[in-house]
Amino acid sequence: MTGDAARGDDAYVLEGFAVPEQLDAVHTLLAQAAAEHPELDPMDVMLFETAIIEIANNVVEYGRPEGEVRWKFTIRVREDEIEAELDDTGQTFTPERGRTMPGEDAEGGRGLAIAEAVLDRIEFKRLDDTNHWRMVRRLGQVRPD
Amino acid sequence: MSFEEADLGTHVVLAPEGKFNLVAAPPLKARIDDLVAAGRSRLVVDLGAVDFIDSSGLGALIGGLKSARQQGGDLRIAGAGDQVRAVLKLTNLDRILAPYDTVEEAVHDW
Repeated sequence: MTGDAARGDDAYVLEGFAVPEQLDAVHTLLAQAAAEHPELDPMDVMLFETAIIEIANNVVEYGRPEGEVRWKFTIRVREDEIEAELDDTGQTFTPERGRTMPGEDAEGGRGLAIAEAVLDRIEFKRLDDTNHWRMVRRLGQVRPD
Repeated sequence: MSFEEADLGTHVVLAPEGKFNLVAAPPLKARIDDLVAAGRSRLVVDLGAVDFIDSSGLGALIGGLKSARQQGGDLRIAGAGDQVRAVLKLTNLDRILAPYDTVEEAVHDW
């Protein structure tokens, strides 16, 4: 159940099972990318981390068969954006997009809304037997108020 | 994830550590429910040692807040770091879960 992280020429890659214990490895992967790119604004990294973990949570919670879904995270830092690609072997599904932030009393339903609020681009495609997410945050924007 | 708990008479302080996420949130929420059911509905969640919160952690805080208020108490948060504050703001939850700088400030009128 361990994941393997690797550093390619321009990409930080993690492969493993989409299980709760592997979420820490996603945090670590982004921390590694940030450490090697000191030019990144910590606020960008923090918000991007918040968004990609919500998408990762989604795969961990709803990916089936439970405990058997494998995933591959690839993080790339570019001059003007940071990108994460997530491929997972879970069942096909249609994410509910364009969610508004749930009301104050709601105990759930904020995950994708948070990701959509923080990311400039979020794409989802089903390719063969794989779900493919692409998440992008442009760098150097005005910080959220 | 484990969490510290301190019973200070008028209120109980719960202090999770590390990542307050989908792994850590359910046990903390369960403990809050137990405390509220036992009549301890003035609660502080000290987030000083939490470096990351996700929507599950937020859900546990909101659920705990609702339970506590239904019993005439309250749930307040203290010591939130930058990421927690950013997420509270992003979700508009800072309106009902105002972050206090310290536990002492959170309990000032209890």
